[in-house]
Amino acid sequence: MGFMDKIRGAFGKPPAKEVAKKRLQLILKYDRAGLPPNAIDAVKEAILNALKEFPFVDVEGVNIHIPESDVDGKIEIEVPVKNN
Amino acid sequence: MADKVICITSGKGGVGKSTVTANVATALAMKGYKVAAIDADIGLRNLDLVLGLENRIVYDLVHVVEGVVPAEKALVKDKRTKNLYLLPAAQTKDKSAVKPEDLIRIVEELRDKFDFIFIDSPAGIEEGFKTAVAPADTIIVIANPEMASIRDADRVVGLCEAMQKPEPKLVINKIDPAKVARGDMLDVDDVTQILSLDLLGVVPEDKNMVAYINRGEPAVLFPESIAGRALRNVAERLLGKEVPFMELKVQEGFLDKLKKLFGSD
Repeated sequence: MGFMDKIRGAFGKPPAKEVAKKRLQLILKYDRAGLPPNAIDAVKEAILNALKEFPFVDVEGVNIHIPESDVDGKIEIEVPVKNN
Repeated sequence: MADKVICITSGKGGVGKSTVTANVATALAMKGYKVAAIDADIGLRNLDLVLGLENRIVYDLVHVVEGVVPAEKALVKDKRTKNLYLLPAAQTKDKSAVKPEDLIRIVEELRDKFDFIFIDSPAGIEEGFKTAVAPADTIIVIANPEMASIRDADRVVGLCEAMQKPEPKLVINKIDPAKVARGDMLDVDDVTQILSLDLLGVVPEDKNMVAYINRGEPAVLFPESIAGRALRNVAERLLGKEVPFMELKVQEGFLDKLKKLFGSD
C-alpha cells in the first residue's frame, strides 16, 4: 500500500481508479443493452408489485437482470414458484 | 495482406487519433512499406499538421470524390519519410461530402499501389465515422484511460459489430504511470478488461508530444521519445511481430524519494 493510499484510507475513500472501474462496468452494461441506467430497478419494482397478489409466487426469489454477453437486448426475469 | 486498410477511430475527440495515425503510418514507411494515410475528418483537417504537410496540399479527398483528380494525384508526398503519402481532408466541406461508397471506391483505387492504407476517422459516431470505417479490414480503437473515452470507445465497438466489421483492436493512449501508481487512473488491465478487446498498444503520456506536433514531426522519428517507441511497437505488432508491452515506470521526483526515506512506501 502506497503513501497516498494510506492517506486516502484514513479518510475511508477507495482509490479513484476502483470507483471508475465499478462505475464504468455498470454504465457499459446498460449502454450495451441500450437501456437507461435505472431500468432494472424500475422494472423490478413494477414486476414485484404485479406478482405480489399471487400466493404461489416466491417474490423473494424473483431475479431480474441483463444477461451476460447480451446481444439481442433483453432483460431476463426469473419467477420462482413456491412448491409446498 | 489482410490488415491492409486500417481505420483509426475512438468515438470521443482529442484522444489522439491523428497522432497515432501519423506516427504508426510513419513508422511503417520508415521500415520500407509504402503507406497512404487518408484524413477522413472532412471540415476539421488535422492529420496534415501532425505530419507537417499543411503547406503542400493542393487537392483533397473531396476533389477526388468529385472527380476533379484521381486519388493518386491528390496524394501529398511526405517531406521526411520516403514511401509515405497523405490524402488530406477537405477543410471547407462537411461530413456529408464523402459517402461510405465514395471512400470504398477511393481505397480500391489505391489498394494495389500500397502496402498499408490508414484512415483517420473523425470523432463521433455519425456518418463521418461510418464512412471512415466502411473500407477498413482492421479497426483500431484509441482510448484514454478515463471514463468518457472508455464509454465512447465501447459505443464504437458496438457500432462496428452492428456493421459486421471485425472486432476492433485497442490502443490505450496517454496513460500516466504516476497517476496509475497513485490509484487515481485506470491501469492497462482495467481498460482492457472493461472493453474486452485485444490490446495492440499502450502509449504513455509524453510531455514532449505537444512539441513534436507543434513542429510537425512525428514522435516515431525520435529514438529518445517514449511515446514514439510505444508507437513503433504498434507498427511492429501490425506486422504480426510479438513485441512485449513496455514497462511503465514512474519518474521518481523529490517527494517520492522523501517518502521512501521515511519508509512510507
